[in-house]
Amino acid sequence: MRNTDVSGKPLPRKVSCSHGPIPWLLPLLVVLVLAFIYPTIEVIRYSFTDANLAKKTYTYTLKSYRTIFSNPSTYIILRNTFSFVFFSVVFQTLLGFLIALAVDKGEQMHLHGTVLVRVVTLLSWAIPGSIIGVVWTFLYNETGSGILVALLAKVGITKVTFLTNPKHALACAIVANIWRGTAQSMILTYAGLKTIPSDQIEAGNIDGANSWQRLIHIIVPAIMTVIGTNIILNTINTFNTFDMIVSLTGGGPGRATEVLALTSYNTIFSSRMLGRGSAYAVILLFINSLMAIGYFAVLKHREKS
Amino acid sequence: MASRTRQKRITAAGLYLFYAVIILFFLFPLLWVLSLSFKTMPELFYVPPKILPEHFSFENYEQVLWRNNILRYLSNSFKLEVVTIVGTLLIIIPATFALSRFRFKGQHSIQFGILTFQMISPLVIAIPLYRYFSKMHLLNNFWALAFVYIALNIPFSCWSLKGYMDTIPLSIDEAGTIDGCTKMQVLVKLLLPLIGPGIVSVIILIFVRAWSQFIIPYILLSDQKLFPISVGLVNLQSTGETISTHFLAAGCVIGILPTLLVFIVLQRFIVSALTAGAVKE
Repeated sequence: MRNTDVSGKPLPRKVSCSHGPIPWLLPLLVVLVLAFIYPTIEVIRYSFTDANLAKKTYTYTLKSYRTIFSNPSTYIILRNTFSFVFFSVVFQTLLGFLIALAVDKGEQMHLHGTVLVRVVTLLSWAIPGSIIGVVWTFLYNETGSGILVALLAKVGITKVTFLTNPKHALACAIVANIWRGTAQSMILTYAGLKTIPSDQIEAGNIDGANSWQRLIHIIVPAIMTVIGTNIILNTINTFNTFDMIVSLTGGGPGRATEVLALTSYNTIFSSRMLGRGSAYAVILLFINSLMAIGYFAVLKHREKS
Repeated sequence: MASRTRQKRITAAGLYLFYAVIILFFLFPLLWVLSLSFKTMPELFYVPPKILPEHFSFENYEQVLWRNNILRYLSNSFKLEVVTIVGTLLIIIPATFALSRFRFKGQHSIQFGILTFQMISPLVIAIPLYRYFSKMHLLNNFWALAFVYIALNIPFSCWSLKGYMDTIPLSIDEAGTIDGCTKMQVLVKLLLPLIGPGIVSVIILIFVRAWSQFIIPYILLSDQKLFPISVGLVNLQSTGETISTHFLAAGCVIGILPTLLVFIVLQRFIVSALTAGAVKE
């Protein structure tokens, strides 16, 4: 019966160090500093040096950035990265939205198989990206025993090329990435649809709105922030893609499917140029930060509404 | 009314058609790998290929398990899983308690800071870590690798566990405090049992993410004996001459199976965990 006064009421508790949040947060803060904050600062610092993994000494210089921005291949890589991200995100978001809508509609109509569609769409989420890359190399087998070749031959398309043709390889990587990333879009949109109050939809029905009008005027505005979150998360995931590209194409043929993360990796770990590779990583970091700011803006907007 | 039911039938037919296309698109690659994994060497070169293998035998699986280090890769992955899950929970449970139960200066910054790190490519942090680990002779070290795995799983798991803890009313804590519980007792005896489902969800998410983790072990390990399955399979793939497609396909199936089974059996937990934080209920 310590903390009580004579009348038995609890005394106001004293705020002391041991009652504060710091001891509880300390392990987390230590890990964050060691594994995130310090390395992030370091990678920025490296990018302003001519450091090389093979040498012990280095000097500070802007050479890495100058070389990068004067190198035409940088623009090829940026173009690859942005096309890869743009088309992946557009189709992941659209397809995820359509599937969520179809499953939701099917549930309302008590159709069979809605659970199956949902589970099958989400499977790819549980599969490592590196293995997804290997799986798609099997599908993109260009010899006569390749399955896609055989299927396309049935509809009269012959002599197809996939990953060996620089003109097709990036599109093939995008298709594989859509297969991989639609799961997250679908599940977020699906959960968003579940939060729309049914009286809102019914009100639309009474007003005589057709399905298209309901979609545009009621459903889409109601889940706009979910769609925003979804687009940002898809964009971040796709910008950071590394695993699937390594096992699918390794960046080739030539530089046809080389994305920013891969360039950074190759520059450091194949060419040993730590400074220049870090500069590529800093560009990636910069893009990540822009996305994070966008994400916070959406979150803030949501808290207000 | 007749036109109404007709309309409904057309909608249903359209939806079923769409379902069929979607299931085909998402299931086909997996079924094809499964089919390849049962084929024999000559069957791989049939033109056109047969959809189904001629007979189902587990010979490829036996071969790949005994010959190609797959068992070792699997056991490395499972060891990493155990350490990552335990380590992450030990760090995030007290931290979540602080973020959910205390109001303090800088709280918002910490929360958003945590979320920001969620969005940074692991490549960015792996570069300096490679350099430091190499100086400290920690490359090819299981525990150093596990430390990075834990760090990478902290942001999202802390964020989603906080979501669960926030749903437990403060009156529970207050009742416990009046009964003389210390903060530690409030957390362990009262709150933890209540957020059990949340912890299960977080464990599943960590399990799947750690299983898929690629870039960190790819950079920090060069010793094949330590490879997790995600890197091990890519390593097998790149030694193309010694492993042919049917064995590699069997390896893929083995690598996919653990997380896929966990996902199918526990998908309800996952759906709620994935959407927590992204959708306002």
